[in-house]
Amino acid sequence: MEISFILNNKKVTIDVTPSMRLLDVIREELHLTGTKEGCGEGECGACTVLVNGEPYNSCLTPVANVIDKEVMTVEGFRETKAYRVIADAFANQGGSQCGFCTPGMILASYAVLKKNPHPTEEEIREALSGNLCRCTGYNSIVNAVMLASKKGIEL
Amino acid sequence: MIQHFIPSNLNEALETLSKHNCFILAGGTDLMVQKHVSTGVLPHFEKDILYVMDLKELDYVNLDSDKNIHIGASTRFIEIEESPLVPEIYKKVIREIASPNIRNMATMAGNIANASPAGDSIVPLVLNDADVVLVSVNGERTVSVNDFILGVRKIDRKPDEMIKEIVLKPQELNYFYKKVGSRKAESITKVSFLGAYRVEDGIIKDFRVAFGSVAIKVVRNTKVEKKYIGKSVKELKVNQVVQDYAKLIAPITDQRSNKEYRHKVAMNLLKKFLVDLKGETNE
Repeated sequence: MEISFILNNKKVTIDVTPSMRLLDVIREELHLTGTKEGCGEGECGACTVLVNGEPYNSCLTPVANVIDKEVMTVEGFRETKAYRVIADAFANQGGSQCGFCTPGMILASYAVLKKNPHPTEEEIREALSGNLCRCTGYNSIVNAVMLASKKGIEL
Repeated sequence: MIQHFIPSNLNEALETLSKHNCFILAGGTDLMVQKHVSTGVLPHFEKDILYVMDLKELDYVNLDSDKNIHIGASTRFIEIEESPLVPEIYKKVIREIASPNIRNMATMAGNIANASPAGDSIVPLVLNDADVVLVSVNGERTVSVNDFILGVRKIDRKPDEMIKEIVLKPQELNYFYKKVGSRKAESITKVSFLGAYRVEDGIIKDFRVAFGSVAIKVVRNTKVEKKYIGKSVKELKVNQVVQDYAKLIAPITDQRSNKEYRHKVAMNLLKKFLVDLKGETNE
């Protein structure tokens, strides 16, 4: 079936089975490999993408559910000013080691800062509660988001 | 070859259901896991799929003239949590379901229809005597959430029906809710407890108890509850109530916990609810 949606601000139309996971559409069909598969069952958040600005687990999303919606992967977000602030904060605080969770963490961080420009530590942890990290122990990530919120992501 | 139906409106969806036996897929947060095969491989659905997440007609939270709250079947948990019309107790339960990403995708109707013994939102719905309204080309029918769920992943849905909405009755009680799981988030419930009461002048006017994840369905027993309604809080004996409920739950041993632990924790939570009830009412 021909399925259309807006990916990283550009309209795409692909011929795929509607039940194909959005994660596989992004990685296998469209060759954007920034979005990762960690668990394939919605528990780790490595597959996080933004759909109409809200973080979704793309491993659980059939592509039919994003028809005519705006999907943003880390590749698209990388082009924005907000990314720069968040990425610099992550680098400054050591919020990334192996980097596998990082695309998901960065998108989830952007989503919380957009909704709540001055979150408390508890609110940051709650917003990232669907993103797992095996390397950092989370504190450096939380500190990075806190630092980014102080710098302001300039919407 | 299965067919994929992406209706643009409710009528189209119902027409499709009248002709095809379908999986009804909204957020997909459980179905896509159940049918998952492998990386890069299509999920394995054995029958046709009807995609209902984007049916705007079923995306609503409304109040009617009797103060019942109507939640459309396509309304996602995030929307329910943010609606000013929804009582705090449902929001409290929703906030402990899965993760923010999943709550952005998943629907309360899907949580009910999936009929997992560990489905969290089912607990306050059973306590509330909430209803689901089913709709088909032949009309609508209303059934209580408790009666709609027949067993593990079994529901009273005819092939041509889909859930249209959930109806919450107005209810003003004092609540005690506790979900016991492995972590604060992304945690499948081992045991959950929801107790509610209303006391006036030392007399129990309303008393409700529901347990989640300790049987194939949410456990609630109105016969036991009625024993205590009308009694004074002073007369309420914690051990008596615990004895009544100890026989009513039937937890299992699975990969998460064993049945002795679940039973003990469930009774401890009930005890705490009752002790708090007596304490808060100074009886």
